[in-house]
Parts: sequence; structure tokens; C-alpha cells
Amino acid sequence: MAKWGMVIDLDKCTGCQACTTACAMENNRLPGENWQDVLFYHEGKYPSAKLMWFPRPCMHCEHPSCVDVCPTRATYKTEDGLVLIDWNKCIGCKYCMIACPYGVRFYVDERPLVEPDVRGVFPGAGRGMWSPPYRAPNDREDWVHGVGIQPSGVVSKCTFCYHKISKAPKGVADLDEDIPELKEYVPACVRMCPPKARYFGDLDNPASHVNKLIADKRGVRLLDQTGNKPQVYYLSGGAGASVPGSRAAKT
Amino acid sequence: MATQASFKGPVNTVFAAAAIGVGVSLAIVAVALFTRGHAAFNTTSQGPLSWGLPIVTYDYFLLASTGLAFVASLALAFGVRDFYPIARRCVWLALATAAAAVVALTLELGHPLRAFWAIPLSFQYLSPLFWKPFFIAAYGVLLLVVFNRMTRPGWDYAANRGLGVALFVAAVAVALNAGAVFGMMAMRPFWYGPLIPVYFLAESFLSGVAFAMLVTYLAYGLDPKAMPDKARALLTGAMPGIFAAALAVVIAMVGSRAVTGLWSNAEGLQAFDWMVGSPLFHLELWVGLVLPLVLMLRPGSRNQPSMQLAAAVLVLVALFIGRYEFVIGGQVVPLFKGSWVPGFVRYTPSLTEWMLLLLALSVAFAVYAFGEKRFDLSATPGEKR
Ligand code: SF4
Ligand code: SF4
Repeated sequence: MAKWGMVIDLDKCTGCQACTTACAMENNRLPGENWQDVLFYHEGKYPSAKLMWFPRPCMHCEHPSCVDVCPTRATYKTEDGLVLIDWNKCIGCKYCMIACPYGVRFYVDERPLVEPDVRGVFPGAGRGMWSPPYRAPNDREDWVHGVGIQPSGVVSKCTFCYHKISKAPKGVADLDEDIPELKEYVPACVRMCPPKARYFGDLDNPASHVNKLIADKRGVRLLDQTGNKPQVYYLSGGAGASVPGSRAAKT
Repeated sequence: MATQASFKGPVNTVFAAAAIGVGVSLAIVAVALFTRGHAAFNTTSQGPLSWGLPIVTYDYFLLASTGLAFVASLALAFGVRDFYPIARRCVWLALATAAAAVVALTLELGHPLRAFWAIPLSFQYLSPLFWKPFFIAAYGVLLLVVFNRMTRPGWDYAANRGLGVALFVAAVAVALNAGAVFGMMAMRPFWYGPLIPVYFLAESFLSGVAFAMLVTYLAYGLDPKAMPDKARALLTGAMPGIFAAALAVVIAMVGSRAVTGLWSNAEGLQAFDWMVGSPLFHLELWVGLVLPLVLMLRPGSRNQPSMQLAAAVLVLVALFIGRYEFVIGGQVVPLFKGSWVPGFVRYTPSLTEWMLLLLALSVAFAVYAFGEKRFDLSATPGEKR
């Protein structure tokens, strides 16, 4: 079994939001509910103000607090290391949104009867919240894995493009858009990133490119003190001296 | 001794007001949910937070319920016979407030009906929300059984201690579980802490005492002379003392939590600045908790019905503010939203959310007044009148 993970090279990321757009098209997301987003920060004051940005998917944590709090097991961890949501089981209690330290989960329950809402322009036929003209074919809808157009009253989040990666040939170490026979299985954000700042592969395979990048460039995880142990690693600088991610030896 | 007939006046008024409240608020909430969905509760991802006023309402009434069960348990589990005269009323009001809590939660959930099968079948024992419905169900059944049994002729706590203790344990479990839902959230330091469940327990007991005082006066038309002697003896004896002691404990907890939180440095604890910077907090602490403590300590006011009533109402308002600050405070510092959102999320409960609070309040009082009309809530255990 693979343990899928992502590496994002912050030195390469230009903050162009191509990943966000690719994800929005692939998964029918709207602004404010983007499964993948690039967050912009500023620090300091003129004339030495600094603009920074940070690409942020779901971390598909090794110890996902969202899974532990979900009273219905609608949120679950797969054998391939993904954290997914079963929309048939989710009751919309939103405890997972409370418990995720990274703010990557989204709840929708708008009924565009009175207030203007783009979803009212393209109403969903039956179960989904809406039906945008660019949506993927219906046969890709897979509620058990939280894939498709989000229905109302449940929580959704990044699936690492489960509908793509689950069809990849077994045993591959990396899903890289530069390998022609694998490119259809690569998550949309990874495939679309213009400066190739994103990599996707098997963290359990010592020979995978993602593992080499994490080792060589000293990948770090966001908020490692939470103990959630993200399966998304960030590269920045790569110097030997680095800020430790946790206060003691890893257990 | 006062007769049942003399209580009818205020009870009918309470029932009528509560029934109107249920009708109006339910209509407004239903229309909002139908035309706008749960977006009307501010809880979708286009809104500022995940748990808003409906969850505040839910926890408030749930803790009021367990608190009333604690007050009844003083008689039923711990054998303090002084509390016999109000025990049955407390048990019924615990049912009424629990019903209000369940109504609020049901309307808040995205798919409440799905919860009936999805939670029990999940066996997700790691989640406090998996245990909660079981605890609440057991607690509700025990309340009904105790309510039913305690007026049997010759009933005494000593012979039924098992039942009383079971009810007490179930109420403790519900209150601790409600606290654990928040206390386990290490990623939200405003909530996190192994003692948060105990904090909930103390606040729950205080709200139980305040509710018990309020409805005891309501039941006798706000006229202490109409009360049976034993009830009056309780209200001028042990009750204000216990009220003051519970207040002192809660004030110590609220104060020390605020000071510790203001001093500490961790991402998310800025919520304490938000909390203490709001006039609501000072209303809660000084007017809603400290003033009632003073009233319940001063010999000249502690036994005065008007002062007791004022203290009870102030405390009930203060505890609601406290619950609001607690639930919202854990979410007020946004998580990874970048520079485009303010340092503290801007949240004002919508009209629909206030209507849900009115609905819960009305349900509680409607069920309570129904019980007052239908059953003899003043019945002292073992003495069917
Ligand atoms: S980032 Fe959040 S939603 Fe994703 S697996 Fe971790 S805890 Fe769950
Ligand atoms: S909102 Fe849905 S996925 Fe999240 S904890 Fe509740 S039931 Fe689970």
C-alpha cells in the first residue's frame, strides 16, 4: 500500500494560484470554499513591507484529528494514507472543522432562493449543490470518497484528487506529470503548477522522488507541534541548520 | 398548605407566552432554513465560523438540565431531605431544558435524521460526540423513570438510592462529555485543557441552582406565602448558601481563566483579549456573578424573595454570556485565512440564530408549564397528594 504525500517547494512557488484554479475546475469549487488555496500574508510596514504567500491543500495527516472527532466515521483514513469524507454519512456537525488545525474543511448549505448566489444560476439536478457548466461527467461522482459536486449540509475537503490517483498503476513511486503514461493520474494542482513547485508520490517508498526531496532539502511540516503529522511537506532553503519541527525525538 | 389551584394563574400565562414563542420562532427559523439553508446560521464556509449561537444555546440548555439534575440529586442520591420539596420540579425542568437543547441541536445539524443511524453504527469511540447521544439518551430515560417513581407512596431516597445515584452519574457524564468536546481540542488553546470538563460541571451546577430558584418562585406565583413551609424553609435556609458557594467557585474559575489566558502566549489565546475587551464580559463577571454573590452573602438580602429572584435571573444571563464567549472565543482567531481576513473574525448572530434561542427558551418553558399543569410538580417524594 502506498502512503501518498505531497511536497511543495516554497522556493519555486510564485503564488500564481494556478493550483487553486485547477482544483476549482477539477472539483467544482467556489471562492471561499477552495480545497486548495494560496494564502497571502503581509508583514512589516512601508517601505519595508513584505508580501508572502503559502500554498495550502489538506495535509492528509498521519494522525488526523478530524478523523478522531468525527462521530459517524464519515471522515476516515484510507489504506493509501488519504483522509476522505463519505458524504452519505456526514451529518454536518462540523466538529471536524473545529478539530482540523489547518482550516482546510468546508461546509456548504446555501439555498439560493432569495439571496443572489451563482449556484442559483446553475441549480443542481437533485443531490448536488449546483451544476456548473464546466462540471466533470456525472459518472465521476463518488460520494463515498467525497468526490463530485458537494451536496448541501455536509463537509468537504481536498481528496488529493482521489478519482485520479486511485486509478494509477499499483506500486509506482511517484505520480509525475512529466512521465507521459502517468500524467492522467496526477492531482490537478500538481499537474498544473507552472514552475513545478509540487511533487506527489509514495512516502513509504524510500526510493520515491518525494522522499529524496524531503531528505535532501529538509522538508518541514506545518504546525508540527499539533502532532497531526501532515503528509504534505514544505521545502524552503534546504540548509543543514534548520528549525526543529518538534521538541523531542520523533516517536 | 397551598393548593394546586392557586398556581394556575402564572402557569397559564407562562404556557401561553411560551406557546406563542414556539410558534413565532419556529416559523421564522423554518422559513430561513428553507429559503437560505444553514447559511442563515452563519456557519457555512462563506460565514465567519463553524459553531455559532445555536451551539451556544444547545450547550447552555444541556448544562442547565444537568445542573437541575444535580440539584435534584442532592435529595435523590445524597439524601439531603431539605431538597425534597423542589426535587420533582427540578427533575421535570431538567427534562424540559434537555428537550430545548435537543431541539436547538437538531435544527443546527446539516443532516439531523442521518445522525440516528450514522452515529450508533460508527463505533467511533474516539469521538466525544459518539458517546454524547448515548449519555443523553440514558440520562433522559433515567429522568423519566425517577420523575415517575418518586411520588409513589412511601418512596424514600434511601430505598431508591441506586436510581438516584444512576441519575447523578448520568448527569455528570453528560456535563463532562460536553466539556470534553471543547477541552480535547489542543489545536484551539482557548478551549484546550483537562480541567475544562470540570469547569463545565461547576457552571452546570450553578445554572441548575439558579433555574431551580427561578421556577420555584414562578410556580407559586412569585409569592413566598403561597409556598409550602418546607419549600420556604429551603429557600430561606440552605438554598442561598449553596447558591453563594457555587457562585464563588464559578467566579474563581472565570477570573483565574481570564487572568491565565491574558498572560499566556500562544497562537489563538489572543481570544482572551477579545473576550476581556468586550463589555459583555464585564457585565457577566460584575453584574451577573459578583453582584448576585454579594446579594446572596448579605444577611439583609439573601433571604429576600425579590433579591433571590434577581440574583437567579442575573446568573442565568451571565452564564449565557459566558457560554457565548467560550464557544465563540475558540473560533474568533481565524485559522490560516491569510491577510484578507481580520485578526478576529467579525461575528454577529443573525436574526435566525436569535430566533433559535427564543425557540429553545420557549420549548423549555412550554414543557415546564405543561408539567406544572399536568402533573403535581410540588409533590414531595413519597407523599402523593
Ligand atoms: S489537514 Fe485537517 S482535514 Fe486534512 S487530514 Fe489533517 S486534520 Fe484532517
Ligand atoms: S461534519 Fe461530517 S465529517 Fe465532519 S465530524 Fe461531523 S459527521 Fe464527521
